Amino acid sequence: MAGSGSAHLRPRDEVLLRVEDLVVEFPAGRGRTVRAVSGVSFDLARSETLGIVGESGCGKSSAARALVQLPPPRSGSVRLDGLELTALRGEALRRTRRRLQMIFQDPISSLNPRRRVREIVEEGPRVWDLPGDRVDEVLEAVGLDPRAAAVRRPHEFSGGQCQRISIARALVLDPEVVICDEPVSALDVSVQAQILGLLEDLKERYRLTLVFIAHDLAVVKNVSDRIMVMYLGKVCELAPSAELISAPAHPYTRALIASIPGGGPDLPPAGTLISGEPPSPVDPPSGCRFRTRCPRAGARCASEEPQIRQVGEDHWLACHYPTDSR
Amino acid sequence: MRRRPGPDSQATGVLGRTRPGSRSAAGVLGRMGPGFWAAAGWIALVLLAAVLADVLPLARYDETLAGPPRSGPSAAHPFGTDGLGRDVLSRVVHGARVSLGVGVGAVLLGLGIGAPLGILAGYRRRAADTVIMAVNDVAQAFPALVFALAVVAFAGANLRNVLIVLGVLGVPSWVRLVRGATLTYAEREFVLAARVLGARDRRILWREIVPNVAVPAASYAFIGMAVVVVAEGGLAFLGLSVQAPTPTWGGLINEGRTLLETAPHVVLAPSLVMFLTVLSFNLVGDRLRALTDVRESGLEPVREAGAAPLPSAPHEVRAGCLLQAEDLRTHLVTPRGVVRAVDGVSFTLERGRTLAVVGESGSGKSMLIRSILGLLPGSSVRGGHVYLSGDDLTARTPAEMRSVLGPRLGTVFQDPMTALNPVRTIGTQVTEPLRVHLRMGRRQARAEAARLLASVGIPDPERMLRRYPHQLSGGMRQRVTIAMALSCGPDVLFADEPTTALDVTVQDQVLRLLHRLREERDMAMVLVSHDLSLVARWADEVIVMYAGKVVERGPAAEVFARPRMPYTEALLRAAPRLSDPVHHRLSVIPGRPPDLADLPPGCAFQPRCPYAEDRCAREAPPLTGSYACWYPLDEVVVEGADSRGR
Ligand SMILES: Nc1ncnc2c1ncn2[C@@H]1O[C@H](COP(=O)(O)OP(=O)(O)OP(=O)(O)O)[C@@H](O)[C@H]1O
Ligand code: SF4
Ligand code: SF4
Ligand SMILES: [Mg+2]
Repeated sequence: MAGSGSAHLRPRDEVLLRVEDLVVEFPAGRGRTVRAVSGVSFDLARSETLGIVGESGCGKSSAARALVQLPPPRSGSVRLDGLELTALRGEALRRTRRRLQMIFQDPISSLNPRRRVREIVEEGPRVWDLPGDRVDEVLEAVGLDPRAAAVRRPHEFSGGQCQRISIARALVLDPEVVICDEPVSALDVSVQAQILGLLEDLKERYRLTLVFIAHDLAVVKNVSDRIMVMYLGKVCELAPSAELISAPAHPYTRALIASIPGGGPDLPPAGTLISGEPPSPVDPPSGCRFRTRCPRAGARCASEEPQIRQVGEDHWLACHYPTDSR
Repeated sequence: MRRRPGPDSQATGVLGRTRPGSRSAAGVLGRMGPGFWAAAGWIALVLLAAVLADVLPLARYDETLAGPPRSGPSAAHPFGTDGLGRDVLSRVVHGARVSLGVGVGAVLLGLGIGAPLGILAGYRRRAADTVIMAVNDVAQAFPALVFALAVVAFAGANLRNVLIVLGVLGVPSWVRLVRGATLTYAEREFVLAARVLGARDRRILWREIVPNVAVPAASYAFIGMAVVVVAEGGLAFLGLSVQAPTPTWGGLINEGRTLLETAPHVVLAPSLVMFLTVLSFNLVGDRLRALTDVRESGLEPVREAGAAPLPSAPHEVRAGCLLQAEDLRTHLVTPRGVVRAVDGVSFTLERGRTLAVVGESGSGKSMLIRSILGLLPGSSVRGGHVYLSGDDLTARTPAEMRSVLGPRLGTVFQDPMTALNPVRTIGTQVTEPLRVHLRMGRRQARAEAARLLASVGIPDPERMLRRYPHQLSGGMRQRVTIAMALSCGPDVLFADEPTTALDVTVQDQVLRLLHRLREERDMAMVLVSHDLSLVARWADEVIVMYAGKVVERGPAAEVFARPRMPYTEALLRAAPRLSDPVHHRLSVIPGRPPDLADLPPGCAFQPRCPYAEDRCAREAPPLTGSYACWYPLDEVVVEGADSRGR
């Protein structure tokens, strides 16, 4: 495995969500397999926000969807408060759904164009035969006028407002964990700032635990307590947000930061930290999956997959030859 | 990946963003045009006549010698009489019962069987899909008409059999259509969201999928009725439909055949009615389909512009300047009114410099580029001037522009896939401009293409020339479009969000490349981006756009360090930076960009501006010097996150 291991997981009784050795694969035709997520582990303490960053195709969304079992992962364990979700099927799984909600990237396609906004938000209580008294409250909490929501359909709202509707739909069931998959990537800077602020407010108000997925490191740093960096279906590095940005140790994390304009003033130019483009997840490199683009790669990197190990207090890393940037 | 309005969808961005207060189904129906209503009216009329045939004051359809045989249209018999003296109008109306009855019945039958199968296949996928579609393909390969003829001939030609046969024959198409529609929606995130909420499949099907499939299905139902009416006519003509004396349209045409020379109206009347009905069904079906498209995109159909070019103010043409835009305006005429996408933009650009255009989506960045290049939608009106080395481009016809686009102005857009033809090799596409504009021979062009690909950092260019766009990664494709844009040695390179669709690490590589090429070739570059940090890093000069206007301009370093216009400051403070502390509160710009078809009076930023005073709502601030604002921020040097202006 490349960038695998679960040494970084905390004791079970301290965490709300614990994901161990998650594997997600898709058939790619002609008998081949897309290895979207290969042995990823992470956990979340109650009221914590974990940011997941990585480039397109690194398996962020696949991991997010495997958490809600849509579709269930090929293998691995997803425990919500001790309850093993991967072992559940049908009605038993459905009954856990209220506790784990999701927000998607595309504000337009995540709302049914033929339903009124209020119906969309009311869907959760209807499904669960709950009184709809929370509906107005969450609509107001996300900054929407409940009266306008009663008569309007999604296409009458802007992208930012549609994202607010999605958030209201996710919160109306009072979930414990909310998975946000690129919730602001399709939005403009000014709207993005509104939604990020809103998420922080709601997190406090409803004591939410968040998984926040994005490709923009600055956005992820803004909302996350800890950040996990993924590359081609594997974990590279995991650290508290400020530390990950100020003292990145994994060659890929360093390249990612240096590639952002004005990102890493102390880092060498990105051109010297990374080369080429990501290989196909159908046929990932042996050993460390980053080795085809890594300037520090040695012979050991091709033959042996680095295991996750601790390099600082709550700072974890999977690399044979990391930089000591302290 | 970051998904933003691409260059081609920028028009969508401009129009789609400013959503009208309400666009109800009735509102859309109201804009379907007179053709739709005429067709719907005709269908309603024929249906009504068929239903009420017995109570209408008509002669009986089988009453012989109701009038003199073979007589032409008259007051008593508006469509004349046939060979037995029967009233043709009455026969056509009664014929509609059979023809429309079969049409509606067969479509409902096909829908009844086909829709559940299609939904099952599209929603369940896997085994159900494979089995249903395999059977369906076999059924579709069946020689349908032969089958119909055989069954009707064997089982007896009556209304029930004809209806069943035509209905069953329609099933495969229904399955295919409904499956396709289901598939598109079953993959949408709102269906996933419903499952995450814990909704059961049955509920998801009824609430989320069926309402969306209903509109394309309704559209197809009308088209299907047209097909069935024609098919029934064909069967009747062959004598294989409902038997005489019950009239059907096809039967009437068949009977009248022998009278074609002496009494053509006997054939013409049912033919004309049938033709109009089929036409109407098709028209209504087509328009209903357009209805789904409009709702999907949020883009309203643009109307033909009748207006004359907008006037422009007097100005000086600077001969020494490479690119000069003077009071450039582009207004789009839409049903909601005039959208001022670009509203009086002026700038100059010299060789060896990069001008960045920044602003939020819908602020008119891409429209500005399209106005300069003369690549505008038909519904637009352009005003102002663009000079390339003193030569007025706005005076050129589209044909004359072609000799400038490519050789002098190169373009790179956000989505490389839209710039590349998926079915032609990279080699054909890169050599084409070389052969057309530079008149190179085949071999020379190929060698030059390989050299170009190498110059944009593509490894093994010879092999790359033989590949197709889909075989390349996004970053490689964007390098290819850059190579194409550079192939004829342009003076100005326009790059509209060239890296927005690319990964961060690849973004940096591509921008580095663009910058290097600009220096090597002594070009000028116009870089459009929404990413302020990227612009700060790569641009020499910047113009900030808001609602189609330039609200601030100047050297990039200057503008970002000391913004004077409140919107620029607000944009800078809203963007998260890596250097900000964790859980840092970004400052929020309240509200959202204005409707470009309905701008607020005075300063367009005034409803959102924290510094607005009375004057801002009355008078629009002109762009004087480097900013357009009545109450600019003080010239205080602001650093990083602490850009507190005043
Ligand atoms: N349903 C699917 N069938 C086949 N392959 C898939 C499917 N979904 C995802 N993949 C592949 O799995 C890999 C990981 O995809 P995923 O969507 O998780 O990436 P991501 O990091 O979220 O990317 P992005 O930032 O573009 O959303 C990619 O190679 C993708 O093409
Ligand atoms: S040094 Fe080796 S193990 Fe570390 S990232 Fe580079 S290739 Fe992977
Ligand atoms: S003119 Fe007035 S409203 Fe407009 S930006 Fe300046 S201060 Fe704000
Ligand atoms: Mg994704």
